[in-house]
Parts: sequence; C-alpha cells; structure tokens
Amino acid sequence: MAGFDISMYREMFLEEAVELFESADNVLLEAENNGSLTDEQMGQLFRDVHTLKGSGASVELVYFAKFTHEVENMMDKLRNHVIEFIPEMASTLIDCMDVMKEILHLEAAGEMDQDKLDSMTHNLLAEIKGYLSGTHPSSAPSETVSVESTSTTQISDSFADKSEEDSIGFFDDSIDPTKFNKAYGFFKEEYQNPQAFGFYSDELQARSESAPTVATKNYEENDNFGFFDEMPAISPDNKELSYEKPEPNIEKPKSVTPAPIKKQAPVASKADAGPKDEDDKKSASLASATNNIRVNLDKIDTLMNNVGDLVITNAMLTQFATSISETKTRVAVLERLELLERHIREMQDSIMSIRMVPMESIYSKFPKVIRDISKKLNKKVEFKHYGDAVEIDKAMIEGLTDPLMHIIRNSLDHGIETPEDRLKVGKNETGTISISAEQANGQMIITIKDDGKGIDGNKVAAKALEKGLIDENQFAQMNENDKAMLVFGAGVSTADAITDISGRGVGMDVVKTNIHKLGGIIRLETELGFGTVITIVLPLTLAILDGLDIAVGDKKFILPLSAIVESLQPTKEMIKKIGDGTQDLLMLREEFIPVVKLYQLFNDVEPKYHNLEDGMLIVVKAGNQKVALFIDEFLHQHQVVVKPLDKNFRSVEGIGAATVRGDGSIGLILDILGIIDAQKKIDRHDLEFKKKKVS
Amino acid sequence: MAKLLIVDDSTMLRDMLSYALSEGGYSDVVEAVDGVDGLEKAKSALFDLIITDVNMPNMDGLTLIGELRKLPQYSSKPILVLTTERSDEMKAKGKAAGATGWIVKPFVPDQLLKAVNIVLSR
Repeated sequence: MAGFDISMYREMFLEEAVELFESADNVLLEAENNGSLTDEQMGQLFRDVHTLKGSGASVELVYFAKFTHEVENMMDKLRNHVIEFIPEMASTLIDCMDVMKEILHLEAAGEMDQDKLDSMTHNLLAEIKGYLSGTHPSSAPSETVSVESTSTTQISDSFADKSEEDSIGFFDDSIDPTKFNKAYGFFKEEYQNPQAFGFYSDELQARSESAPTVATKNYEENDNFGFFDEMPAISPDNKELSYEKPEPNIEKPKSVTPAPIKKQAPVASKADAGPKDEDDKKSASLASATNNIRVNLDKIDTLMNNVGDLVITNAMLTQFATSISETKTRVAVLERLELLERHIREMQDSIMSIRMVPMESIYSKFPKVIRDISKKLNKKVEFKHYGDAVEIDKAMIEGLTDPLMHIIRNSLDHGIETPEDRLKVGKNETGTISISAEQANGQMIITIKDDGKGIDGNKVAAKALEKGLIDENQFAQMNENDKAMLVFGAGVSTADAITDISGRGVGMDVVKTNIHKLGGIIRLETELGFGTVITIVLPLTLAILDGLDIAVGDKKFILPLSAIVESLQPTKEMIKKIGDGTQDLLMLREEFIPVVKLYQLFNDVEPKYHNLEDGMLIVVKAGNQKVALFIDEFLHQHQVVVKPLDKNFRSVEGIGAATVRGDGSIGLILDILGIIDAQKKIDRHDLEFKKKKVS
Repeated sequence: MAKLLIVDDSTMLRDMLSYALSEGGYSDVVEAVDGVDGLEKAKSALFDLIITDVNMPNMDGLTLIGELRKLPQYSSKPILVLTTERSDEMKAKGKAAGATGWIVKPFVPDQLLKAVNIVLSR
C-alpha cells in the first residue's frame, strides 16, 4: 500500500514503549528484590516484551526487534517453565531492558548498525545462552538445543524477513494459492480433515464434554463453521440472533465492571495505606484496561478553557442581572443564574476528574532509578510508596516528576549512608526512602522521607552566609531546621564532592522553583543522624481557584483564598516599626508578621490609604512564611479561571497568573511566595543601599 | 458495509490496523484493547470479521476466540489471529481455538487486505 507512513507510528511506538519498559522494569525490580517471579508476573513480562518486539518490528525497527526477540524467547521459556527462574536472571533481564532502550533510541535516530548491535548485545546474549543451555548450575539442563535457535545468526530469519518465506502453508485446496501471499493463511484443510491433526477433534471433544449444554450445541454448529465453502452468508436470521445470550458456566471476568472514579479520601494513617492501595491499584488498572479512551491532554485543556469561558460569561450575566431595576425580574433572573452556575461547577468537577491520574504513574518511574543509583553507590535502599491511587492533575505530573526525582536522587546520594556507616551508628544496613501522597483540604500533600544522616544545618547556613544569602545576624537567630531549609537557596549544596548522581548543576533551588511554578510550596524537616522529611503541598489543580478581590487605589487584584489566614483592620498598638522606621511589623497574638505594602511593590499604584490603620491587613501564608498585605479594602470572593501569564505575556514578579473578569477585563492573581521573595529583595536592596550611603 | 473488530493491546498496532483497513475501504472498524474488551464489544454489536492478537492481558486471543465460538452469532464468523509466532504449534493452537486463519505480525498492509478481502468475499 502506498503512502503508509511508518514514521508516524514510530512516534506512537516510542511513546508506548516507555510504558512497556516501565511495566517490565518494575516487575523485574520486584523479582530482583524477592528473588522470585510468580506465573502472573512472568506472563506480564512476556506480554510486555512480546508487544515491544511485535510493535517494534511493525514499525521496521529491525535491530531492536532482533534483540528483543531473544529476550522474548527467554521469557517464553520461563513462563512455560522450560527453564526455571533463578535470581541472577532478574539482573540480566534488567540489563537487557536497558540495552533494548538504548538500541531503540539509536535505531529510531538512524544510528544503529549490525556492528553496534553485536557489541551492545554480545555479553547479554551469552548470558541468555547460558541460562537457556543450563550452563548455569541451577537452570534446567535439558535446553541445550534451544541455544542454537537463539544465536545471533539464527534470529535474523525468525521474523526479520517478512517477505515471502517458508512457514506458511495453505490448507484449502479450493483457494487459488496465487491469490495468497505468504504472510497469512487459513486453517481450512485441517478442519476438513481433522484426523491429520488428531488433537483438534479431541480438543473439541474434551471441551464439549466439559462445556454446558448450551455451549455444546454451539460446538455442534461449529463443526460446520469452516470456512470458505461452507461459511454461511450473513443472513437476516443471523443478524437477528440475540447478542446477549446467557452464557452459563462462562465465568464473567471481574474486570469488566469499571471501577467508579473514586474521590480519594485522605489516607488516614500510613500504616494502613499499603494493602488498601494495593486493592485500589488493581481495580484501577483493570478498569483502565477495559474502559478507557486515550485523549490528548490538549483537548481536555480546551474543554477546561471552554468551561472557564462559561464561568466568565456567567459572571458577566450575573453582574448585568444585578443592574436590572425591576425587582421581580432581577430576583428571578439571578435565581436561574445561580442554578446555571451550579451546573457549570458540576461540569468543572467532571472535567477535573478526567484530568486526574493516579500517583502510581509517577511512582512507577522511581524503582529503576533507585536501583541503578544505589548499585552505583553501593548502598542498600528500600523504596516504599503509599497513596498510589491518590489522584493528581495530569497537567501537574510533568512538572512534579523531575523535582521528586531530584529529591530522591539527593536522598540517595547525600542522605542514605553506606551499609557500613549505617551499621556503625546502629542502624539497619538497608536504608529506607518512602514517598506518600494524600489529599486534604483541597490540597495535595506529598511527603518524601528518608532515614539517612540528615542535613547539617550549620554547614548549609555557613555556605549560605558565604554566598550572601543571609547575614550573620540571621545566621545567629536561625534554628537548626531553618538553616537546613537554606538548601533551597541558589548555589547552596551540602555535597562535599560533586558526584554525577545529583551534582548535575541542578540544585534544590531548582526543585523549589519548579514546585513554586506549580503553585506549590516545599518544606523540609531534618534531624542530624536520623533523616530528612520533605513535604510538598500542591493545589489540586492549576486551572481554577477561589479568589478574593482586593483593591489598592483604583487597581484590583485577586488573592488566592487558600493563602489567606485572616484579615483585620490594625490598631496603632498592633503596628511596630523597626529599623529606621520604614519597615512595619504587625504584632498579632505575640507573633511578628512583616507588613508588605502592595502599592510599594507595584509602584505605579496610587493607594487610597497610606496609613496602616486606615486600610486593611490581610495575613497570608506561603509555606511557613507569613506576611501581612496592606491593601485599601477587600471586595468579593469568586471563582476564577487561571490563565498562565508567562504563556501569554511574560512572568511578572509577585503576579502568579491572570484571569478574565465578569466585565471582560483582565484580573491579575497575586503570587504570595513571589511577593515574599520580592519583599525580601527590596529589604536587602534597601539595606545595602543604606550601607553604601554610610560608607 | 462489513463491520470489523480488531483486538490488540498495543495502541499503535490498533492504529496501524485501522488505518490499513480504512485505506482498503473498511472504515467501519471497532477497536478493543484486550480479550475481555473484545468479547464485550463483540456481544454488543455484530461484526463480520474479527482480527485478534494472541498475547494480551486479562484475556488472551485464543481464549477470546473460544468464547466467541460459543456464541451463536459468532459460531461461523471469520476470525483471524494476528501473531508473531508462525510455528506449527502456534497454528495448531489457533486452529484448535477455532480461528479461521492467521496473519503474521508485522503485517504487510496489502497482504492484510488481501486476507480480509478473501474471508469477507464469501
């Protein structure tokens, strides 16, 4: 067929391959840890590798398919118990997966040739050969013959030549063989002549004996389904057959009932999270296999945007309706608009749930990385994960995977000690890294915990001091944990020596920035000698937020409701001045909170009030930092559709995103963390400015 | 127009098959992701031809064929097995399960169409 574009399918295959590799890797990692493989796992592994081979060959990745065929062959023998699994195989097979990935990418890039294939696969093929031939003492010795069929020279003709070769016969004499190519065939002859294959009728016999009567009847009919000559034309009768005939004795697979989309309750305690998640995972993956469609995320984004526009239009209408002077009409219209708003909100929720995917999709990337790194570093680590079924916005996964990966690399590299060191301090020689996810209060909380040596706050703070991120005064005042938190500062690394594991020029500051970009915050708690806990709190979605309109002068801003702690009109006694009197602090229940004047931050804004006592203070929180925003007044609360600024305009410090208001104007959404950072910069700048003046 | 069902766990392969079939004039093609899905779909509509992969999660192709053959409406419909294995053993298994014929993977679009044309022309 002309115009069959293989390259398009290649792309698809590469995407699909990532998932298949992940699935196979995870089974193999488990096998490596447990030293065993269940039949179910072997079946899964075989299917993964089999699909990799079949699909790879279909898109003409011949080298890839060649080697994968060898691995598949070994898997096939394993699952059929021709050879028995021994623990060493896991590591060989993991290496095979790695080589397969490499070949795949080289070949897709057009950089593969036979020599490369030979050198890349030589050792592994020898290992596989060893297992198959029983050279390894514990593998089955009866397989000497199969070695031959797996040597490199032999594999090439096992499938690579999809041209007309051997192996296909035609069984139906009535069919003109010239009509056929050799890539397919029909089973005709044997059906006419069952004796030629004795088991065919036996098999049928056996099945009809065990099958219930209804089925038996069908088998009788089967006797004359045969093919071309006798195959009945599709008669109207046939079409009228009921499709839902009862099927006694045919066990209905459990998986056909799709699991309902669950609102994930917060994981109550980590101890009981394990088995529950296991169940969730199973039902989720089965459901996904039977009742899912793949949709491009862009399409869902578009849908979300459409609903966003509906929200905005609804707001416009509501605003307009309030101006209707005739009371009865106004009330009636507003009532119906409220109903409309409720429907839109439900629609939003439905779309949100479409965007959600289980955390498992992130977790599954970690075991392989952890294995590779810990092997490299000669460390022993156990990886635990909880909340696999907790759902997260698909749009966030991309932004979240890298930071999590980085944190885990760091834990492995700098946190977890070597087995010897661990034993010395009385710890179990195997370290633990665990990650958990839960939803609470409309937020996603992800916790990464390790039982390594913790972070030396003083060391970090010293570095931060050296970099000028803090001054001596601050250094003296900070507690141990605050000092450790400084690892999130730019250029602050605890690594004594840069390693190729985590010292890739990316520090924890990038992790913080990335989490920040997702609208999240990151916290760290560490205890020297006992480990580190990193907590990431994220909004459930990036698409919509509840906001509060605030006014400064003639400008309006939107403040995310989730950031607000409280609001108040301060009295004179509550305001303390520090420094030379330009910096204000709000004293609230024995706590000093820095005051940020929004009109100073956005300096083209002329406020109504300059005196703190005249306006309002809104205490907001981001991470463990609180500030009090000084504004003129706050207006009303409403839901806004978040439109990222940097995609449409450029990023502006202190402004997180934008939205379209009910009246069609653009509303700016404040970014609390950004404001805190900006304020700190201003303070530092002022300080330096003053220092310079003095000197 | 003939209604076709293709059952394969690989999205890419399903896409390729659908595309190849549509190029050959078979645009009424339904896709299923595994045997369980295939069986469900086969029950909810009547297909003139089913092409199924062998190795799939949840329910493999051979089991699917067996289940289909138990249904009166599929007792004599053509079912083709799509397989990478063209050993005699594999063929015997396919035959025993009740398949009409087999097509090797990777399939050649023209040959696929030829096979489909043959089974559907009868």
